[in-house]
Amino acid sequence: MAKKSKAAQTPPAAGPVRPVTIAFDVMGSDHGPEEIIRGAAQLTLDTPHIHALFVGDRGLIDHALSSIRHNAERVVVHHAAQFVAMHEKPAAALDDKRDASVLVAAQLVAAGEAEALVSAGNTGAGVLACARTFKLIPGVKRAALATVYPTQSTRGEKDDPFSLILDVGATVDATADDLVAFAVMGAAYSRIISRNPNPSVALLSNGTEAQKGPPRVVEANARLQHVKGLRFIGNVEGVDIPKGTADVIVCDGFVGNVCLKMLEGVHETVMALAKYAYKEKLLWRAGLAMLSGGFERIKEVTDWEQYGGAPILGFDRIFIKAHGRSKARAITNAGKVAAKAVANDLARSIQEGLKAS
Amino acid sequence: MSLVDRIDPVPPKRIYRWDLDKTYLQTDFDSLRQLVRTALQKAGEKKAVPGAAALIRELKARGDSRLCIVSGSPTQMRAVLSEKLKLDGVEFDELVLKDNVSNLLRGRFKALRGQVGYKLPVLLESRARAPVDSEEVLFGDDAEADAFIYSLYADMVARRVNEPVVYRVLEASEVYPDDITRIMRQWEKIGVSDPVRRIFINLDRLTPPAFFGKYGPRVVPIFNYFQAALVLMADGHLTATQVVKVAVEMIQTAGYNLLTLSNSFQDLMRRGLPMAQVAQALTEALSGPQALLNSVRPVPDILAAFTKRIAALGAIPAPPPVRDVDYLSLIDDARPRDKKGKKR
Repeated sequence: MAKKSKAAQTPPAAGPVRPVTIAFDVMGSDHGPEEIIRGAAQLTLDTPHIHALFVGDRGLIDHALSSIRHNAERVVVHHAAQFVAMHEKPAAALDDKRDASVLVAAQLVAAGEAEALVSAGNTGAGVLACARTFKLIPGVKRAALATVYPTQSTRGEKDDPFSLILDVGATVDATADDLVAFAVMGAAYSRIISRNPNPSVALLSNGTEAQKGPPRVVEANARLQHVKGLRFIGNVEGVDIPKGTADVIVCDGFVGNVCLKMLEGVHETVMALAKYAYKEKLLWRAGLAMLSGGFERIKEVTDWEQYGGAPILGFDRIFIKAHGRSKARAITNAGKVAAKAVANDLARSIQEGLKAS
Repeated sequence: MSLVDRIDPVPPKRIYRWDLDKTYLQTDFDSLRQLVRTALQKAGEKKAVPGAAALIRELKARGDSRLCIVSGSPTQMRAVLSEKLKLDGVEFDELVLKDNVSNLLRGRFKALRGQVGYKLPVLLESRARAPVDSEEVLFGDDAEADAFIYSLYADMVARRVNEPVVYRVLEASEVYPDDITRIMRQWEKIGVSDPVRRIFINLDRLTPPAFFGKYGPRVVPIFNYFQAALVLMADGHLTATQVVKVAVEMIQTAGYNLLTLSNSFQDLMRRGLPMAQVAQALTEALSGPQALLNSVRPVPDILAAFTKRIAALGAIPAPPPVRDVDYLSLIDDARPRDKKGKKR
């Protein structure tokens, strides 16, 4: 297929959409800087209003960028000599490495050089860099790491199959106040990113009754029922997560992280069993082959790369944490999600929601 | 032009050679429909690449240069192209267009799409008429074979390539034997000199810059004409004020802004082009009482944006190494796009 000319890709006149600069921490991901750069470079071709700020080793960035199709008018590079590796302890690493790419990127966002941060590196370091650099939104005491999970039912004007779960690890011992804030933040995010004007919100507990669960969950349940503008549907159980009973599921970081890992474990086990069945009997192999089209379709619909990454909610700036295994496509989508959150002023939306609570 | 100039024009010190489609003009002819639309466009409907007209006007402003245009557009378009250039305030000295009707009537079908057999002899003929000591800067694009043809032309004039290599290159490029003879004759007539200082390639198709690394640092891929103006300022062809005039046209007519211009500046720095002194001179020009960009944005913002782009890089990168061009290995670049074996 013929490549479009630059003029065809980029209407020159300044349109109504204001430019958004996304800082990409290009270091520390599983696939190395090139995948991050490739994904972000694609944004500069696809979306005329998104500019990419690459933070990391300049030599590596320049080397990769020189052979990747991009629009240099929408690219800027900021050199950072260090980075936090996946195996490092976040606090110690950030204390030692003042020039770590994720910290420098967060500082650039805080200084207004970019409006959002995307990183596929060490999650803890990313969250901590933001905590040390960004401010919490008034009314938010602790930030939440949200993630999306493919579900049976869809939502929003784009039939989004992903529901949002938060917190999945940023705040291990959340209070009732925190859970209420998480609910408001998750709903605001779902409204903007999933284009779901009235998302259903639920608390994760060990029973659907309002009295079930530890005191903080019971208290949060009671308070959430009175939050204006929030469609709180009460408690849900673990079984409701993959069903998609609620568009936003709220829990503390400890429970959320255990759930997330369990869901990942179930997925891996199912895949392992399918491989076992494939090898074990010819008849089973034939059955799996016949179902392969359906499996592929499910894989397409539930492909996490289309979502790009998980937001850290609660800060006055946007941080999208892309999966460590993210390839270019996931990074492109993480950048789009970040730009969408900026364009729709997610922080303000959360703040307004919290005022109503 | 004064009477004296008309009788005995000042010999040009600098020659600027331009391609038209996708270099000066924003042209889409990747499909038959686009080709027909381009052919039927009136002068007023044609759009120049942002900054191109301003750059040419500034390059010509010194009065000691010549603008020579060689385009693959058919000769039937001379009137409309001349009118378009006139509308843009661009005064050319040569405008050579391709006689495709003649090619068609003579059954020379390869010549219809071929670039090497058309442009190379035209460039050599024009060079034969130029003073030996005149410098040249060439402008092309990444859609066809401009980097290849311009580099070969430069190295032929400088005698950095020998006859057997040129023969093999021309044969491999499917140039007709009579055109090969014409090229070799023209080449013989040209005095030895090394006039080509820069070859700018407008990245219309956003080809990654590293693709042109094999042509050496003389070839500078550019994302816009502000970048060309900056490099030409570093090379002594333009003043800081003239560069600012190019930027102003791009801001006023094509939606460029401080962000895109400062990013373009940093892109050149990252590719090792000598921008540090340019930045200093631009700072002085912008700080002066005649600051042109004042009407667009406060000067301190502009200076801060450019200073940040420099500081963000840490150490200044080394310039790219000079290297001989191996034309025989690059022969694929010389073929029409639909025949290229490699994908960019």
